[in-house]
Amino acid sequence: MRRALKIYRLLVVQNLKRLMEYRADFLTGAVSFLIDQAVGIGFIFIIFSQIPQLAGFTFPQILFIYGLSQIPKGLDHLLTDNLWCIGYFIVRKGDFDKYLIRPINPLFHVIAENFQVDAIGELVVGIGLLVYAAPNADLHITVWTVLLSLIAIPFATLIYTSLKIMTSALAFWMKSSGFIIQMVYGMNEFAKYPTTIYSFPVRIFVTYIIPFAFTGYYLSLYILTGTDPLLSIGGVILISSVLFVISILIWNKGISAYESAGA
Amino acid sequence: MNKIMKRYVPFMKAGVQSLIIYRLNFMGFVIGGLIYCFVMFYLWRAVFESNGGGIFLGFSMTDMVVYLFLSNTTTQLIFSDVSNEIGEEIRDGSISMRLLRPVNTDLSYMFGELGTALMKLVVLLIPVILGLEIYRFYVTGTIVFNPLNFLLYLFSAVLAYIISFRVNLCFGFIAFYVKNLWGIGILKNSVIGFLSGSLIPIAFMPEGLRICLEYLPFASMSYTPVMIYMGKYGAYEVLFRIAIQIIWAILLYGLSKLIWFGAIKKLCIQGG
Repeated sequence: MRRALKIYRLLVVQNLKRLMEYRADFLTGAVSFLIDQAVGIGFIFIIFSQIPQLAGFTFPQILFIYGLSQIPKGLDHLLTDNLWCIGYFIVRKGDFDKYLIRPINPLFHVIAENFQVDAIGELVVGIGLLVYAAPNADLHITVWTVLLSLIAIPFATLIYTSLKIMTSALAFWMKSSGFIIQMVYGMNEFAKYPTTIYSFPVRIFVTYIIPFAFTGYYLSLYILTGTDPLLSIGGVILISSVLFVISILIWNKGISAYESAGA
Repeated sequence: MNKIMKRYVPFMKAGVQSLIIYRLNFMGFVIGGLIYCFVMFYLWRAVFESNGGGIFLGFSMTDMVVYLFLSNTTTQLIFSDVSNEIGEEIRDGSISMRLLRPVNTDLSYMFGELGTALMKLVVLLIPVILGLEIYRFYVTGTIVFNPLNFLLYLFSAVLAYIISFRVNLCFGFIAFYVKNLWGIGILKNSVIGFLSGSLIPIAFMPEGLRICLEYLPFASMSYTPVMIYMGKYGAYEVLFRIAIQIIWAILLYGLSKLIWFGAIKKLCIQGG
């Protein structure tokens, strides 16, 4: 464990050095994600200039759900962005060999290798929205709601990461799975709004099959209502743990199926 | 004319072939777009319900469905990837090969994309329009399809593509200065998504912003053709909107040429 942390620190430092070298690139990336977020929020502003509430939630509450949903997304983006490259080209080009011949866990190595600071766009907007919306969102702020919600955030992040591990691992069989990661990841759009607005089959789908509902709506439900921590927080922890175990199984099976490219 | 076709048709064929080879990526794109449409559909349904049903800012729910799916499809149809392509070619130096050939640089890019656009027309636009018309028939009980509006839509979409191509060409030249093309791509898509009304109809925006956006070139890229298809414009307004599109197409043509002639002098290919 200590060794892993040391390696992680070294790799992150390397990444930060690269960042200092290409400052304009970093700025472009972070600003791009910031503007992407601003557009999404502008959309909610325009809708709410016409209606007082949506599916029983007020404007600040919707902003709160939206903001909270961006934090697991941003954390995952910050830490595990390299999984995209596995799906898009690392396996296809045969470059995965290098992870197999080193004396550390390949999955850990893949994840530690990239530290994606572009994610600052999502994190800044997420935290900004929470701070902006919290005073007017009728939150039930107690030690328990705050503490449990904070504990649940890493688990919600794990939902993103597990889905990315699973879909990128498909590349071990298919050579390239970028489009599948894209497709599954794209469903996080569903997380931004209360799950109650969707029809029954869609709700089941985003709750149990591609469980993005837990990364936004259910995650914020406990602090919004102050009741049912078992369903919301417990659900996040249970679903993310199950998903993570499945993703590791798929990943390991994938590695044993991996064949290097000819070159 | 014949000579020109003979020279550029191979670029078009290459465009079709690359789409066929990368069909899985293309399908990922299409499915991603559809998922997005469905999320928006539910969101708007909730908005309409919160509003007490009926008409919201001049749009019925049926209008909204047509708008959502058609504007998403139109955006994909007129999608131009030339900014990325030019960026990559500048970076790896292969643009020099393109400059050496006895072809017009712009046209060679454009014909490559025309191939993919034709494929998208067949596999994407036609099924979506059919689906939407069946949906409208199912909801309203009458056939609402207007062939004249459809033809005007196609004409307007061609203009929209020309504008989109030119805007992208201008973006592509940013590659001379910035390396993070991927970040620029995200930036471009979200800015254009908002300004072109494909995210939220321009008609819903606050008055001042709405008037500004209607005259900017971005509205010409998907909003104008979709509104024409939906019959939201009267005869004079259709002509007026198409005139605006033509003016923007000419202005952006000039602008991209200007930047191109400036940039080409600076072009410095390393090693290639």
